[in-house]
Amino acid sequence: MKLTRRHILSLAGAGAARLLATTPNASPLFEEVPASSSGITWTHENAMSPERYLPETLGPGCAFLDFDNDGWMDIFLVNSGPSDFYKPPKPLRNALYKNNRDGTFTDVTEKAGVAGGSAFGMGVAVGDYDNDGWPDIFVTAYGNCTLYRNNHDGTFTDVTKKSGLETPGWTTSAVWFDYDNDGRLDLFICSFVDYGKTEHLSCGDNKLGKHYYCIPRVFRGTASFLYHNNGDGTFTPVQAGTDIAKMMGKGLGVVATDINNDGKMDLFVANDTVQNFLYVNRGKDKSGKWQFEEIALAAEVGYSENGQARSGMGVDAADVFNSGYQDLFVANVDQEMFSLYRNQKNETFRDVAHPNGVAQSTRLLSGWGLKFFDYDDDGNIDLILSNGHPDDMIENYSMQVKYKEPLVLFHQDGGKLHDVSKDAGPAFSKMYAARGLAAGDFNNDGRIDILVANNGGAPLLLRNQSGAGNHWLGIRLIGTSCNKDAIGARIVWSAGGAVRSRLKNSGGSYLSSHDPREVLGIGSAAKIDYVEIHWPAPSGKVEKFTTLPLDRYIAIEEGKGIRG
Amino acid sequence: MARTRDFSRVSGAGTRVACPSHVELCSYFLGRALEAATATPIRAAASIIGCIGFVMPRMLWPVLAVALCAPGLKAQSDQTENILRQAISLHQAGNVEGAIPKYEAYLKARPDSMLALANLGAAYAHVGRYGDAISEYKKALASEPGNAPIEMNLALAYYKSGQIDDAAKTLQKVHQVSPADTRPTLLLADCWLAMGKNKEVIDLMSPVAERQPDDLAVAYLLGTALVRDNQVERGQVVIDKILRNGDSAEARLLLGTTKLGAMDFAGALQDLTKAVELNPKLPDVYSYYGLALLRTGDAAGAENAFRQELASNPNDFNANLQIGVLLKQDENYEGALKYLRHALDIRPGDLAVRYQIASIDFARGGAEQARKELESIVKESPKFTEAHVTLATVYYRLKRKDDGDRERATVAALNAEAQEKQPGVHVK
Repeated sequence: MKLTRRHILSLAGAGAARLLATTPNASPLFEEVPASSSGITWTHENAMSPERYLPETLGPGCAFLDFDNDGWMDIFLVNSGPSDFYKPPKPLRNALYKNNRDGTFTDVTEKAGVAGGSAFGMGVAVGDYDNDGWPDIFVTAYGNCTLYRNNHDGTFTDVTKKSGLETPGWTTSAVWFDYDNDGRLDLFICSFVDYGKTEHLSCGDNKLGKHYYCIPRVFRGTASFLYHNNGDGTFTPVQAGTDIAKMMGKGLGVVATDINNDGKMDLFVANDTVQNFLYVNRGKDKSGKWQFEEIALAAEVGYSENGQARSGMGVDAADVFNSGYQDLFVANVDQEMFSLYRNQKNETFRDVAHPNGVAQSTRLLSGWGLKFFDYDDDGNIDLILSNGHPDDMIENYSMQVKYKEPLVLFHQDGGKLHDVSKDAGPAFSKMYAARGLAAGDFNNDGRIDILVANNGGAPLLLRNQSGAGNHWLGIRLIGTSCNKDAIGARIVWSAGGAVRSRLKNSGGSYLSSHDPREVLGIGSAAKIDYVEIHWPAPSGKVEKFTTLPLDRYIAIEEGKGIRG
Repeated sequence: MARTRDFSRVSGAGTRVACPSHVELCSYFLGRALEAATATPIRAAASIIGCIGFVMPRMLWPVLAVALCAPGLKAQSDQTENILRQAISLHQAGNVEGAIPKYEAYLKARPDSMLALANLGAAYAHVGRYGDAISEYKKALASEPGNAPIEMNLALAYYKSGQIDDAAKTLQKVHQVSPADTRPTLLLADCWLAMGKNKEVIDLMSPVAERQPDDLAVAYLLGTALVRDNQVERGQVVIDKILRNGDSAEARLLLGTTKLGAMDFAGALQDLTKAVELNPKLPDVYSYYGLALLRTGDAAGAENAFRQELASNPNDFNANLQIGVLLKQDENYEGALKYLRHALDIRPGDLAVRYQIASIDFARGGAEQARKELESIVKESPKFTEAHVTLATVYYRLKRKDDGDRERATVAALNAEAQEKQPGVHVK
């Protein structure tokens, strides 16, 4: 291949992966897996009505989960359903697709008993709340939430009422995490707006003489929910007396992470049209009450750098710049640009979206599901964004903003993110009304694939084909004294002279849940020198492993070493 | 490349007239003034006064008359007066650099000579020494307070040096003395537009527009002010008047500005692209073109456009502010401050610029300095929500939690107030 000056500049600016991707014969980084190939024929019903009720445009979420513990990622998709403004002409259902381990999936929804159909479903959070080693499913909704407990036999039982997690209102993203380090997963649920009980707000007719989706600014905010896991299958709401109850937000996205490395999981919540919230876990106060302090204003993650509340939707956290601290991300709507907040290591952040090209790439986009991940296994954290404007009539008022928008892929090179969407494959040239996004390795090749849930359409499954020649190790962490999902664990690994670390966060994206396994990319290094697991409390144990395989998945169980 | 507001094509004046390059900041209406001046012998004489005076020949005639005809001067034949004659002779011949030391030498002997002071000021202005020119004009005015031509020259020197506020104040004096004189009125309107005083421009230009309904220069200034003041319907009437004279950069600029205000960014970009094509020298055109590019996702193109504006019009407020903000976003705080401070020179006290500077102070670790400025800003503008947000952050950073909480409560109240104004009715 002849290297032109442009190629050389491209190589310098965005790394070899980008250059290879521009080569005409190179495979796209991500390839769409059509429904005809995957067998995923389910489509989302957004219930779009002439009245344009706001819940219609906000869903759905999706998840990668291994519901049958066979080591292969299955897929869960959330659908809308009956509500006070919508009576489906025919029954609607969620979908659970079992991975057939050959690139195809089988719909097992009915057998599994997770069809739902009693509420207007929004999002999904997967977690092993009962520490039985099997993932359970929590579904948020406009209407009551649902908790499905895994029966270990391919079926689930609706235990919502018994668990105490019904949670009426309009809930969106939810996250399982162990806030009090008692070894059991607790649950935080974002509450969106006060949408009214018997009547709803209409914003009237637009220039076309049609109703349009109200901007959430017109609705009053609500307080989110924090449930403590009692360890007996029940939960107790514990937000009262904390900042979580005091803060009236319009929560859409949430990620559980540890922003100050104190071993206690914090929460970052993206709010729509009001400030974001950063709830720092302060532990017990003098009265024994567990406290979260909301510090977004002081931390400079509440508003834009010009002091404006934005339309926060998707979120994520990761140690993007390998500083040992968690950085944050928020997706907003068009003209607001998305934020990449670099952790300053003192409970404050600085928005570095502009120096990383993120602001420029997202000025005209409205972002929802997203994920920090190392798509090419080179060891650096990259980023994918799914987008789509919430107003289906936007193109009638705006020539530059579209209802359906493209996915955006950033590759990290030289400590900066670079937009490589143009080189990522045909799927990145298409337009989607994307909402949820989940990352997971459905074919177990060590390259993390992507699932996008589209509003009013079929989901999009993208097979990751990047990172040829790069090595990796996939790890499933299994807690014993800590929570079974090991959320809050820190993985430190050394390979090729580089030491990296990763915190096992929970949640993130929008309405969605990711593959719980961690894939450690090591680039061209021939071996991994060591992997250290810093298990979360209550044990806080640190275990080091030096004899490790490459290019395969292993399980590491707390105190019991490598399994399988 | 220098740019002028050449409105002659639109006005149908027949002859395309542009201001000379050394007065590139002058507006289209000054071009028209020049056009009128070419018919009189005064123009050549006016050049003695210098480049800035050049554009106001009639007004400067009295000064020139003193220079050439003062009987006392003719009668005096001593060496000192010869120096002044030499200075004027050199100045007339276009050797301004040679004239300056002669004027300076003369003024050592006759420091109160209003004529020499005024001419030296003009010579300084001609070679770009605006600070020195202003100093000389002020001395001349001390000798003869209220001299309108010198006030006008002083105003132009202020304008040229980017001291738009001082230029406007000086022009106001001239305008008060000669309210019927369109030229200082138009320049005053132009200054006020640069300062964002749209309502003042509307008040100033509305009666002029009634008196001179066919004057497109007047229409353009009034239309611009109306559009910027969100009086779109009135503005549209004026725009239509301009459009009836055919497609023009000025009309496109106005249309583009209107669409920007209506958040039709793509539509604005189309008009502003056309405006740039029709007349890339039109003041403000690159500034608004840059805004449209920025809003349609082309940040790099926007920055380039703002820089193009500043290359020919260093005193464009928008371009200075926007480049300052872009540099701030890239964490180039020193570079940002340079532009923002200049924007503040153009619009003294502008809250948006002061807010940006305060936020840079804060980002650079100057929380205390930022606090003082932000407190001052919210005192002046209690409903400036963004300033309250940043002030709350600053207080928290300074460990002044109670103050931070108070500001936060203010933000909440302002947001609630804004929410009440949102559209929406309850329906079953």
